[in-house]
Amino acid sequence: MAAAFVIAARILRQRLRDRSALIFAVLTPLGLAVAFSALVAPAQTSYHTSYAVYDGDHGAFSRVLLDEVFGHLVTGGVADLVPVSSEAAAREEVGAAEVGAGIVVPAGFSTAIAAGTPTSVTILGRDAPSALQIARSTVQRFASSVGATQLTIATTLATAPGAASGAGGTAGQAGPRATLDPATLDGITASVLAPGPVSVVDESADRRQATTQSFYAASMAIMFLFFATQYGALSLLAERRGGTLARLLAAPIRPASVILGGALAAVGLGLVTMTVMVVATTVLIGANWGPPPLVALLVVAAVLAAVGVSTLVSTFAKTEEQAGGWNVIVAMTLAVLGGTFIPLAQGPELLARLSLITPHAWFLRAVDDLSVPGVGLADIAPSVAILVAMGLLTGGLGLLRSRATLVSR
Amino acid sequence: MAVRSVPQPREPVPTQDVTVPPAPPARQTRSSEPAADAAATAVLACSGLRKRFGERMAVDGVGFTIAPGETYGLLGPNGAGKTTTISMVCGLLVRDGGEVFVQGRPLDPATTDVKGLIGYVPQDLAIYPDLSARENLAFFGRLYGMSGRALRQRVDELLAVVELADRAGERTEHYSGGMKRRLNIAIGLLHRPRLLVLDEPTVGVDPQSRNAILSSVETLSAEGMGILYTTHYMEEAERLCDRVGIIDEGRIRAEGTRRDLVALVGGRDRVSLAASGDIRAAAMAARAIRGVEDATPREGGLDLLVVEARSLLPRLLEAVGDAGASVRSVEVVEPDLEAVFLHLTGKALRD
Repeated sequence: MAAAFVIAARILRQRLRDRSALIFAVLTPLGLAVAFSALVAPAQTSYHTSYAVYDGDHGAFSRVLLDEVFGHLVTGGVADLVPVSSEAAAREEVGAAEVGAGIVVPAGFSTAIAAGTPTSVTILGRDAPSALQIARSTVQRFASSVGATQLTIATTLATAPGAASGAGGTAGQAGPRATLDPATLDGITASVLAPGPVSVVDESADRRQATTQSFYAASMAIMFLFFATQYGALSLLAERRGGTLARLLAAPIRPASVILGGALAAVGLGLVTMTVMVVATTVLIGANWGPPPLVALLVVAAVLAAVGVSTLVSTFAKTEEQAGGWNVIVAMTLAVLGGTFIPLAQGPELLARLSLITPHAWFLRAVDDLSVPGVGLADIAPSVAILVAMGLLTGGLGLLRSRATLVSR
Repeated sequence: MAVRSVPQPREPVPTQDVTVPPAPPARQTRSSEPAADAAATAVLACSGLRKRFGERMAVDGVGFTIAPGETYGLLGPNGAGKTTTISMVCGLLVRDGGEVFVQGRPLDPATTDVKGLIGYVPQDLAIYPDLSARENLAFFGRLYGMSGRALRQRVDELLAVVELADRAGERTEHYSGGMKRRLNIAIGLLHRPRLLVLDEPTVGVDPQSRNAILSSVETLSAEGMGILYTTHYMEEAERLCDRVGIIDEGRIRAEGTRRDLVALVGGRDRVSLAASGDIRAAAMAARAIRGVEDATPREGGLDLLVVEARSLLPRLLEAVGDAGASVRSVEVVEPDLEAVFLHLTGKALRD
């Protein structure tokens, strides 16, 4: 084993000297993280817009719409409301791109709703489709709630015994709203708008999903890891090409030490690569990897898996070029199958099942698990165990194949 | 010491089993040792080595011993089985048959400690071009269990021996071919092996470096190191080797001291004709002359093995001319290992 460390140290020294270690383990992952930071908005700078708001009604329903429904957007940090004095002023603000969109509540809005007559809210928009879409969805949700309220009131009046006579008339003669006092109306409205007695508690696995930033950070990390670690696996072929393999095998060391040395160098490069990726994506795109000790454990397991696969793949090649090509093909295939390009939750069921044969899927699953607050070792232990098993299995097969080649060339 | 001529499956020229009286070894230290004692104390004793690659039998029953301080040469053309033989001797290759003992201890590819007794210098340069000479030496030294001050001292010592101390910190990719060769040999000497195996160490080396390498081998041998030296250069074998094994097509055809081997030719001369025209017809015509034992056509001429070249030469030139060849020059050389090889195999000892 000491010989393996001596060989690994020499390989790393050579890789540092020819700068390939710096390029593959540091600069390239750093560059990838920087590139992704331009594509994926950091979590700290989430979407924000502002709305010009004209309230021509000043009634109960306009206050609910603006103060409470749109108020949630304000308290959530998504939007600011800019009151204006007229619809024309709102149009002017939108036209000048001072705001993302405008909301115009017409005079008589609340009265019309109370009377059950049609009314409308005008959404003004121009160059900010997201702001417009949010405003449109918000108003539509409010309109749906109002519709539900109206339906509830109508149903109540139609079915309540003596409701019509108690109110001084029949439902069919003067209409329900004409006979309902304001206090009753408010009570019914409040009861409809209040949360219902039944709520949904979703504890499915899908709830454990990393943020977009974390997903892309983890995806590019695991994908690139398979490229970075192949350098160690290729060292055996490089020794053969350079003529030094015979001299290594003539030394009083086990043939397996030569292979293990290459694998150890690959592990070293892989760990540096992953560390750079984790730190860079955390800083640059706000990826949330989870508790550092658990992330470290996951990274080690992923590196072992990558080195194992690279070692095995390289045993089928006769030249470094051939091995490099095959490693790229395998790395890309595993990346696609493993869901690094498209989240498995958005892919077909078959892909989700196929992905389980890849280290990538288990790595990404563990990253999802790490996104849950209070995550512990037990949460990622299955993924880590499977990654390590994959590494040992493929690496062990690679070792056996390499040894057979070494001693009977 | 006995000389043996090994029977061949295909005899291109008539040979006879020859046994010459035991010749005194080149070195006084060995001359008094009986053969049995020499085998028992041999640095290397291998026997019956066999290796087949597919349909081709690369090595077929090769065996020899090397005593301490003895330089044993394996002389043969490229593809004769020299490298395959030493790959089995060094434990790089699984044998199909045979045994290898180093200092009396058995060796196979799974052995680790016995390999530490051998210094191996492969035919191809086995150094890392992006490391310096000092780093190369230190790396291989560590693989042989050396470390710390002892390793540093040994590295310095060897750098001085191979005259690379001045450029020890420079990457070897900037070295000349000769410097790389010297470093290649130095690595094999790092751990002070009992047996040094040199596989054609002077291939592609300039004359000055070649001479330096040969001198180093002579010095090491004088210091008591057993040396196995493969070459296809007759001059090197004649200069360095106490005993030579002539190998061809995976078999040792004969072995012994230079004097013993030359005696196999029986005082025949080697005549080299530079000629043009119908060389094959000239060879056939030459063979018909009494006293010409062999005539081998080659590009640009003929190699002949003759009895009494001086008396035969006029008739020979006449016959060759009559056969349609035009002779430009004639070279007559005394019997040497090349002549022995030609005699034993019917082939010239060249690439």
